[in-house]
Amino acid sequence: MTTPLLQVDKIEVVYKRVITAVQGVTLSVAERQIVAVLGTNGAGKTTTLRAISGFLGIDDARVTEGAITFKGTRIDNGQPHDIAGRGIVLVPEREKIFPNLTVAENLAAPVPRGTGSNERRRLDERAYHFFPRLAELRARTAGLLSGGERQMLAIGSALMCRPHLLLVDELSLGLAPVVIQDLTRRLTTIRHELGIAILLVEQSAAAALEIADYAYVMENGRIVLDGDRERLKSHQDVQEFYLGQTGGERRSYRDVKQYRRSRRWYG
Amino acid sequence: MFRPPPRASGYLHTGYGEDLALLQTRTERTSLAVFVVLLGTFPFVASPFALDLACQVFLASIGALSLMLLTGYAGQISLGHAGLIAAGAFTTGILAREISAPFWLTLPASALTGIVLGFIFGLPSLRLRGLYLAVSTLALHFIVIYLGGEYETKRGFSTGILVEPPSFAGVRLTDGRAWYFVLLAAAAASLLICINLLRSRSGRAWRALHVRETVAEALGINIARYKLLAFVISSSMTSVAGCLFAYYRGFVSIEAFDLFLSIQYVAMIIVGGMGSLLGALLGAAFVTVFPYLIEALLRLLPNIQKLAGDIFAVNYAAFGVVMILFLIFEPLGLVGIWRRVQSYFLLWPFKYKPLAGARK
Repeated sequence: MTTPLLQVDKIEVVYKRVITAVQGVTLSVAERQIVAVLGTNGAGKTTTLRAISGFLGIDDARVTEGAITFKGTRIDNGQPHDIAGRGIVLVPEREKIFPNLTVAENLAAPVPRGTGSNERRRLDERAYHFFPRLAELRARTAGLLSGGERQMLAIGSALMCRPHLLLVDELSLGLAPVVIQDLTRRLTTIRHELGIAILLVEQSAAAALEIADYAYVMENGRIVLDGDRERLKSHQDVQEFYLGQTGGERRSYRDVKQYRRSRRWYG
Repeated sequence: MFRPPPRASGYLHTGYGEDLALLQTRTERTSLAVFVVLLGTFPFVASPFALDLACQVFLASIGALSLMLLTGYAGQISLGHAGLIAAGAFTTGILAREISAPFWLTLPASALTGIVLGFIFGLPSLRLRGLYLAVSTLALHFIVIYLGGEYETKRGFSTGILVEPPSFAGVRLTDGRAWYFVLLAAAAASLLICINLLRSRSGRAWRALHVRETVAEALGINIARYKLLAFVISSSMTSVAGCLFAYYRGFVSIEAFDLFLSIQYVAMIIVGGMGSLLGALLGAAFVTVFPYLIEALLRLLPNIQKLAGDIFAVNYAAFGVVMILFLIFEPLGLVGIWRRVQSYFLLWPFKYKPLAGARK
């Protein structure tokens, strides 16, 4: 078995030395794979993502146990810009673009130091190739873009860093279903053409399961279920609680949450 | 909040070179040429008083531009800029006095002092933000003034250090007109440095970390490095302004660098318009000329002799009132007014509203 691109091994994240947000989370992303992490609010998805991208320090949190390995190197508790330099680039959840810069400047800002002008133009054109809409908006101040355009710009800027692994936090947040569909399709194209891996963190299971090869479901800071797309899509609980497809009478999430899951999923 | 500068339309760029040109339209080129001619002829028609005022504006412009880089673009508040000017001036004064160092030695020495101070006082910015950072930069001001004062008293220059005018190629720089051109050149050079810095990687990094520090970090921008760089560059430019100030005045004393001077520099960039180099220049001119304007207005009043002692107080009060008025009515500063005028003429004779969101 080949070693995966990213391996998160039984990590535990503690905020302010007191609050444990994530416990024993293990997940892996292989080369050219799209992996989704699903779960409701407060399940620990974003914390896991922050642990990978090095953004825990800002909130006074630390990875206290386990290891995060990227291409064979330990990166847990690293500096965000350093991790970005290694090829893990995060597209944040809400505030993801620089509103005071134009679209072109937004794309130019993250280009790594020492990049030649030819290479920079190639990167420029690559971003415009995946998001032709951005080319029309080149000179527009990014603060004036719509939500969908912002998301395109954020992914475009992330691509300028030449990532090997793209982390996308809540791709679908606040966007219309049509836009989400368009963006997810573009992510598949990007994966296909650039050969990079993508780790999605999503509440909208329907959107994520469209494109993910493999998915993990988190609950209360633990991973409670994982499997490839087909397995999860056909899983009864996922269908019921994440995809909203109910067979017969509707059961309460609260009723089954504790006892049944622990039996069925851990067992 | 975001009012992008109005853009000329109808120009098609066919290469990267055209995209990067500083002056992109014929109007821009012509207006710059006219402005240069005006600046060039000004000293030959102006009174010595107006000439001195222009020199003061140029000196203030260098300080305001560098503070604008730091505060207006990189978002790091500094209340220590008077201290940095003092540091440059004292470096010059002390070197000229103690080892009679020539101009070409004191200028880089001042810049170096600025770099060192900027680095040291930039370090807190890695941890502190906003008001807390402002207070830590205030310390810089007091330390420099304290050291300067100690030097003055210990060496017996309790009234101040006299600085001989510098000489270029055997010619002593004493003439007001000559000074005008030297300071104009210095201000123009600072402006050019700022423009190009802002178009470069560092400029984009500063503006990026100003608004979204975390996003900047997520995209691999080393924010510690760029914050320190902003402090270092801004401080060294300010210290160079201090060096020129020492030579221009021919006299260095701590009284010239009180806290009010720092406030004035902050006022320049607020009145001028945050996040705009043009704003820094307009603000520098406005704040420098303003006290003289108030004085001239007061002289128009009858019974001026009675008021003579109050001019100082009136000046302070008027300054405060103008600051408040700007903050309430034109938060974008003089440059906001200028852009409104500009877009009026760009759209003329049509009056349609600019893009939604472009106007507040």
